[in-house]
Amino acid sequence: MEAYLGYFLYFLSLATVGGIYAIFALGLNVQWGFAGLFNVGIVGFAAVGAYTYALLTTAESTFHYGGLDLPLPVGMFVAMVASAVIAGVIGLICIRLRSDYLAIATIGIAEIIKLILKNETEVTNGPRGINKIPRAWEHFSEERFYSSWPMSWFNTPDGWAVFFDALPNWWWQPCFAATVLFCMYVIYRMLERARISPWGRMMTAIRENEPAARASGKNVTARRVEAFVIGAAIMGFAGALFAQHLRLIEPTNTFDPAKVTFLVWVMLILGGSGNNRGAMLGAFLIWTIWSASELMISGIIDLAGYVFQTFDTGLLATRAGFLRMMLIGILMQVVLQKYPAGILPEVRPASPRSNK
Amino acid sequence: MKKILFANTLIGMLATTAVADVNIGNPMALTGPIPDLVAPMAQAVDLAAQNINDQGGMFSGGEAYNVIRADSACDPVAAVDAVTKLINVSSVAAIVGPVCSGAAIAQAESVSIPAGVVTLSVSASSPAITNMENGTDLVFRTAASDAYQGVALANLAIAKGITDVAVSYANDDYNVAIAGVFSEAFTAAGGTVTANEAHEPSKASYRSEVATLGATSDNLALFAYYGSGGITLMRNALETSAFTTFIGADGMLSDEVIDQIGSENLGTTTFTTSASDPTTKAFGAWKAIADAAGVPASDPFVPNAYDATFMIALAIEKAGSADREGIAAALREIASAPGEVILPGEWEKAKGILAKGGDINYEGAAGNQDFDENGDVAGLFSMSSVVDGAWAATLIE
Amino acid sequence: MWESFGFEFVNFYFIPGLVLGCIYALGAIGITLTFGILRFANFAHGELMMMGAYLTWTIMAIATAVLGIAVHPLLAAIPASIVVIYLFFWTDKFFYKPFRKADTIKVVMASFGMMLILRSAVQVIWGPNQLTFVPGIAKPNPSLLGWSSDIGAMLLIPNKHLFIFAGTILFVVVLSYILNRTRIGKAMRAVSDSPDLAHVTGIDVDQVIRATWIVGGVCAIAAGVFLAMDIQMLETTMGFRMLLPMFAAAILGGIGKPYGAVVGGLVIGLSEELSAYPWIGDAPLLSPGYKTGVAFAIMVVMLIVRPQGLFKGRSF
Repeated sequence: MEAYLGYFLYFLSLATVGGIYAIFALGLNVQWGFAGLFNVGIVGFAAVGAYTYALLTTAESTFHYGGLDLPLPVGMFVAMVASAVIAGVIGLICIRLRSDYLAIATIGIAEIIKLILKNETEVTNGPRGINKIPRAWEHFSEERFYSSWPMSWFNTPDGWAVFFDALPNWWWQPCFAATVLFCMYVIYRMLERARISPWGRMMTAIRENEPAARASGKNVTARRVEAFVIGAAIMGFAGALFAQHLRLIEPTNTFDPAKVTFLVWVMLILGGSGNNRGAMLGAFLIWTIWSASELMISGIIDLAGYVFQTFDTGLLATRAGFLRMMLIGILMQVVLQKYPAGILPEVRPASPRSNK
Repeated sequence: MKKILFANTLIGMLATTAVADVNIGNPMALTGPIPDLVAPMAQAVDLAAQNINDQGGMFSGGEAYNVIRADSACDPVAAVDAVTKLINVSSVAAIVGPVCSGAAIAQAESVSIPAGVVTLSVSASSPAITNMENGTDLVFRTAASDAYQGVALANLAIAKGITDVAVSYANDDYNVAIAGVFSEAFTAAGGTVTANEAHEPSKASYRSEVATLGATSDNLALFAYYGSGGITLMRNALETSAFTTFIGADGMLSDEVIDQIGSENLGTTTFTTSASDPTTKAFGAWKAIADAAGVPASDPFVPNAYDATFMIALAIEKAGSADREGIAAALREIASAPGEVILPGEWEKAKGILAKGGDINYEGAAGNQDFDENGDVAGLFSMSSVVDGAWAATLIE
Repeated sequence: MWESFGFEFVNFYFIPGLVLGCIYALGAIGITLTFGILRFANFAHGELMMMGAYLTWTIMAIATAVLGIAVHPLLAAIPASIVVIYLFFWTDKFFYKPFRKADTIKVVMASFGMMLILRSAVQVIWGPNQLTFVPGIAKPNPSLLGWSSDIGAMLLIPNKHLFIFAGTILFVVVLSYILNRTRIGKAMRAVSDSPDLAHVTGIDVDQVIRATWIVGGVCAIAAGVFLAMDIQMLETTMGFRMLLPMFAAAILGGIGKPYGAVVGGLVIGLSEELSAYPWIGDAPLLSPGYKTGVAFAIMVVMLIVRPQGLFKGRSF
């Protein structure tokens, strides 16, 4: 029974992280899938969202600015706004760049954001990062939350302490996973609405044939900035969830471009860019492969050691992590060549007239 | 293709859960920024497990003590994922090993503390770990906090007659922390820190940094990992003769430094490390085991890795089962007096005493490993300088 | 006063900046040619540079082990470059060519994936640990020091840097000969300037692409080996760390302009090092923690202000 609980909890963690990545992928889908903006600075927006959330919601600390001890939803919302504002500034300046140039510019900007987070030690605690970030649901069992309003309304601190002690220690996991998935679903519904709206169809038109869209009087630049900002806001939101999941963020390793930017891109390309459901499917699939491949590769190495008794698996085992990276790279090449449109290719919204 | 992979997953999972062995999880930064530091630590962990299994295994049934390794990559994202799998899928009894402080804190706060699993870190030395728990007693470490090593290094510098020093530290969690403690302690002890600059790890050249710092002092306190920029900075400093004396902490202490820079250039270099008292019987016992197995006995945190693996086994043996609940309390009991002193490798003896209900006190390769109320150890420090082309360590009193 | 200023400035800021600039410049030549002729940003360029250095190291190690002779890195780089050029051809054939008619994004993604594959391949084969390229420390060249202190300048330049300077100059001279005097070089410039026109005039595009990979590849290996000579060690991330500054150099110089890339590389290298010079007061102008950001900042500003680069390269 214990073992099944373990598998269930691992499944929940896959769903949680997969869900967070799915939100990243949805954000990228707005930028790339809808508007054709080649953003390779996802990690920058994720970091802005995560740091904003962390600084606003952690308890007061001597290590970094704040924390301001604000309620979690406020932190999430401001994280979104902060990311959107930064994207707005970047967008206004860079949006007219052609795809590769925009890619290089966004990489550069993401690196500069990371450098700022790393060097402005007074505010961010530098490379040591921010810890004790409150996680939704689990935070209710922290004393600073249950001894203050609104929780103190319902029960005394001692009463709450007894209440949380009685729950199994994993009680918050299903709740947190459900929250992430719910957020993902809401964002997905909103984006679906946007996609089939006139705005969404205009985006497709701009992406597919910019001169024609311009000629028919569309404000191409403004639409692109919009898509960039909306996508970045979603990424900032996902960044805040990411911070909750990890509970500690630091600029160097947490926000490694290979593991955030690149992984999200692979997810979107594999799932099908332009298709919101594809983006989510790709995220869950790639994250599951990424996470489970560690178990798989150690299984394969064990098997190799078992079959070829003389084979020294020690060296291979220490380098298994790199094999995993290689596997993901090869998988992406295969997908790019064999399924250029992804698993779920883009479906054009039917125009209202032909719908009838 | 996919089917084969899935079949392999199943085999892998069955292999780890079917046997009623004692499993512990060992997240190590096999990839990421410091794989070269970690590789010998992983060897030490395996060596401890091998010693235990060679000497009769766990409990009366002689069950195998398995180390299930995972890759934390020094990265909170990977560490949280790896430890989730270890705890939930591999059902490990305890976690030994998260290496980098950031990854260790993230995995503990996000996964292992909520799940009630003991974490015994081998090298996470950040002062932030001391106060990270809210009322639980689940995080321990066999490496001393940087708060101690920074002070030890500052006192050493004063004792060597250094009155002013320029500080250069790599901008990563470990080195920022220890450089901060050092500067504070050095100033408090009457020294002057003439410049205190961060440098970005893993750059191709540090000549401008060296020049800026070199203008202020003849002595350099260098806090960096040798594997990510430390050697380059040191080499640039030597090439330009900007400094005459170098001091630093254990991130720089490796044979690699001698191989790359050359022992003839390291005459005025002293690095401290949270090592062990080589005159103790415990270190002697460890050195014998490590030399026989070809594990570098004095490399940074390698004895700590052996101690951690061994102590978790002792704690599980003491608790009488691989249930997660009793391990923290048992760990405290086996680590400190009262009890018969157990040295590294003495598994059979310890097992015999525990079977009779006796008390033991593990004296580790890296120090006596008595935990304080925060799960920290005080630790001893040694200073190493180059003698006859190799690092020679002497203990700092 | 002037003397102390000059001594410190030249030896500790200017010359290191120039060394870094030479390495960036050689790497950027390949990037700018690929960008101009094949029309995509090759993210795997840094990894190929790194592979070149690793192969050179391997050949040196084999030569020492089998023949018992120490081979100079630049000599060992010759066989290594043949292997890497084949690697260039091979990646082009299997991973880039299928996308030649498709969106740019596809081939850029493919090069991104190639970057991961190559780096992890090196990490699996050679291991993630640092390898010693040349042990010891490089003291300044004594005769240059003696000569320069006679005239009161006191130059502290080690031999490895003299090699790098000479090598870079040699490469640029040979490159300009190839581009200006040979048929294939002219064809390359023609394709870079106007692909349609070049096609109409009957230039063999496949041949031009092969030539691009060879020229870019040789420069990349030179850059990788020079970098390894400078830092005297090998790391698996050394290529990736150089990638963005090299992009910055290529953009600064103007895409498709090899000379622009050289100038861009030197400018980026110098500005990275000089940003830490105490121009005002005693403290570094910019905290060394931000040093890596200088190249990115120049690149972003350049993209926004003058995307065609200093030398009127292609602007898309």
